[in-house]
Amino acid sequence: MQNLAVQRLTEVVMASDIGAAAVADLKLQFAPFSSALEAGFWHQLTQKKLNDYRLDESPKCIKGYYYNGDPVGLPTRLNLEFSAFDVDGPTPARCSPAAGTLYNTNTLDSFKTIDKKALLEKEAKEIWDAVQSGAAWKDPSSLCRFILLTFADLKKYHFYYWFCFPALCFPDGIKLVQPPSLLQHAFSAKQMAALQEAYDGLCMKEGTSAVPYFLMKYTDDTAQLAPLGDWEAFVTDTKKVTVGVYDPCTLSQHPGWPLRNVLVLLANQWGSRVDTVEVLCFRDRTLQGSRSIQHSIIFQVKLPELPNSSVCPKSVGWEKNKKGAMGPRMVNLSECMDPKRLAASSVDLNLKLMRWRLVPSLDLDKVVSTKCLLLGAGTLGCNVARTLMGWGVRHITFVDNAKISYSNPVRQPLYEFEDCLGGGKSKAMAAVDRLTKIFPGVNAEGYNMSIPMPGHPVNFSQTTLSQAQKDVEQLEKLISEHDVVFLLMDTRESRWLPTVIAASKRKLVVNAALGFDTFVVMRHGLKKPPVTQSVSTAADSSPSCSSASSSSSTPAGSAPSVPGSSLFSNIPGHKLGCYFCNDVVAPGDSTRDRTLDQQCTVSRPGLAMIAGALAVEMMVSILQHSEGGYAVASSSEDRMNEPPTSLGLVPHQVTHRISSGSNVTPGASLIEVQCCSCSPIVLDHYEREGFSFLSKVFNSSHSFLEDLTGLTLLHQETQAAEIWDMSDDESI
Amino acid sequence: MSWFELNEEKFHHCCQLILQQSEQLSDGWIWEVVQGSKEGYLRKTALRSVTIDSKSVQKQKGSSLDPEPHTSYHSSVEQQGQEDEQPDCIKDDIDDEDAGICMMTANSSQVLQFEYHILYSCSYSSPVLYFRAFTLEGRSLTLEEVWNSVHPNFRLCLQNSPLDTITQQEHPLLGQPFFVLHPCRTKDFMRPVLQAAQDQHRPVNYVLSWLSVVGPVVGLDVPLKYSTQLHPAASLSSTEPD
Repeated sequence: MQNLAVQRLTEVVMASDIGAAAVADLKLQFAPFSSALEAGFWHQLTQKKLNDYRLDESPKCIKGYYYNGDPVGLPTRLNLEFSAFDVDGPTPARCSPAAGTLYNTNTLDSFKTIDKKALLEKEAKEIWDAVQSGAAWKDPSSLCRFILLTFADLKKYHFYYWFCFPALCFPDGIKLVQPPSLLQHAFSAKQMAALQEAYDGLCMKEGTSAVPYFLMKYTDDTAQLAPLGDWEAFVTDTKKVTVGVYDPCTLSQHPGWPLRNVLVLLANQWGSRVDTVEVLCFRDRTLQGSRSIQHSIIFQVKLPELPNSSVCPKSVGWEKNKKGAMGPRMVNLSECMDPKRLAASSVDLNLKLMRWRLVPSLDLDKVVSTKCLLLGAGTLGCNVARTLMGWGVRHITFVDNAKISYSNPVRQPLYEFEDCLGGGKSKAMAAVDRLTKIFPGVNAEGYNMSIPMPGHPVNFSQTTLSQAQKDVEQLEKLISEHDVVFLLMDTRESRWLPTVIAASKRKLVVNAALGFDTFVVMRHGLKKPPVTQSVSTAADSSPSCSSASSSSSTPAGSAPSVPGSSLFSNIPGHKLGCYFCNDVVAPGDSTRDRTLDQQCTVSRPGLAMIAGALAVEMMVSILQHSEGGYAVASSSEDRMNEPPTSLGLVPHQVTHRISSGSNVTPGASLIEVQCCSCSPIVLDHYEREGFSFLSKVFNSSHSFLEDLTGLTLLHQETQAAEIWDMSDDESI
Repeated sequence: MSWFELNEEKFHHCCQLILQQSEQLSDGWIWEVVQGSKEGYLRKTALRSVTIDSKSVQKQKGSSLDPEPHTSYHSSVEQQGQEDEQPDCIKDDIDDEDAGICMMTANSSQVLQFEYHILYSCSYSSPVLYFRAFTLEGRSLTLEEVWNSVHPNFRLCLQNSPLDTITQQEHPLLGQPFFVLHPCRTKDFMRPVLQAAQDQHRPVNYVLSWLSVVGPVVGLDVPLKYSTQLHPAASLSSTEPD
């Protein structure tokens, strides 16, 4: 690829040479510098602007360098790096320094309107002064200068810049007497060896590793070099003068920019006595440990006369932009300098590490792009949110109606003491603020609202009724807009409405509930799409109507019964139960016969962290399954088999009891035809009657749902259930 | 077991040897000292010219799969932004008439600058390779872009290698974002190298051997001459453990 590019370049050069040869006067043309900036330069400019320069627009001294050892095909570069602001610092080995003037403007407008011509002329005048005073003979590096005009937009991390490499011009150009040829064609091997040795000697003598300009005398087998300043003593024969220039260009027919101003220096001082100058463009590269100078070029020019030696000649040098037009450049560094962008890319890269070695088939995009609705921003909500952020999930929405109380921050990791003051901030809002502080790339929203509950009447007044209706509509809207709904509330009843809505909208539901030292984390069964609803519900419900106790209830179709396998193996996702279908796991001891309010805030503090984390891990595993929410529920027996996802099992539910050890038990249960929440009859009523049905549920005693489904009373069930939902901030 | 361990002192010693050889080979390694601290690191920069196929630029717009075009896609986005922000009047005051300039043809290739740092990690007792790549404008490449600057054939075999644990981290001494080849596997692949060297009573420069394994992963060449120089040199026996 590279060779091809080089070849193309060479062809172009040759073509232009032929064109030029047709013209009688062959004029010398110089390859311009291309600016080359290291990322470190912009970092350092940012630091300087913020800490030192601030609003100071005055010119600053900086330093660049160029190199004469590039392989063919690379542009002639002037490099600026991190160290550009350390003018007295060392120049990289075998590189030649270039002094620069930095004009950093405060506004884009002054960047645009600053008088570029005046900047160039000012710099050119300094070069011309050095030429006329003779200072340039002693310090020829002052001939190679540059201007850098910048504007740093540190809000967007956009950097506008324009380089200028001032060159003084001869009005009629420079006539080539002998066109450029490669040194290996002009010099014998012996001469080249002598030259190389002489150059190294000169470097040693000058105490540097690169000499920008030098004088040269040579015979068939010797070469002598001297600093430019030694002209008087060194040049004895003005008929043949050879000048060497450290040349960063790699083109075979053109010298680089640094030659331009030194020719003006020669012409100004010696133009009347020297007619022809031989120029050696010294190029010195080492590839794979082998050094060569044979690709240097050598040619002869007629030294022009300067018309009026007291007036500064015309100068040129502003760099063209990438389109080849006169204009500034702009580089957008927000990706590598904006801390927020850096945080985002670091989080993603860190997650990708999982894929590279441990779980190559992990589909992170599926996880990261999932929109999560967290109903409840208490102990569970906080821990679920943090784990979601750990997985790179960007879209997190909180719903909670509570304020942060003094007991909360120690258990709820998104809140601090300060958040409790003055009556406490809204949990949903404070959680959003904290998520944004933790990771600004998160797209978090909070809704300070109540979720209407069965048996909690809303019909006290028209106001309360319409408020309940608004709340229901808001919740429906939120559930529609998200992919996964987390049920993380502190009461059993408040889970009813979102369970109904999510079941109706076919959204994945992950539910977590805490006891004193037990918890359950489960996914709700995901019903088949509504198109086939009337058919499939009938088909689905009839065999399993006998519920878990029936022996013949193994679902037909997708999962034929395997002799000897448990009753609950191979249940497909659409036949799995919801929170209300099940009598969730039976810890069975400590908390029986206590009333709910006796249980308030009584949960082992570590429980919510474990349960919150497991809830998110369950979601991620479901997302990795090819069938998503329809995935067959894994059971403990599946631990021996090939796991269904790259992350292992996708159980219906996991239960855990701290007091009995760290065993997390996967289990599964079937959909319950009498379920007060996800049974077809409830969904049917909800879908047909909407809020009028819901308000009946809210306002009626439990017998309403019981009558509808033929199930035991919701509150009786609550009291009998062996896992309680804890309130974190219920006051006694 | 000290044979397999690289302490900080030994790391510095290995680096000094590399610097000496690099000086002879003009390979460009230098030792950077961090201002106000005793710590430092080996540093090298390299340029690589990447050819851009203008046809595929259009086809692949926005795709992160194709390397070079992707890089240029970013650049063209910037240019567009620049056009919006830069009124044409800006060039009015500049006389760009210059018969002495050699007209450069439109660039069909893009030059990328690579910067490599070798640091010592106390946690892993091993050298760590930090690197970044940027355009001539100084814009750092994303990891995808860096991957895409690697030849496709080479890329495939690298992605299957156990070394491809590249991540983005802050440079511990500079505080700037760099890519880093994570050192967690370093000891695994260094052990056989060191064992073989010990068995054959060969001197070995831990850092150099390590670099010859990890360097090519990110396009960093280690000339063979380093090791051909290393072997005959009796003075290098000082790298042997005490």
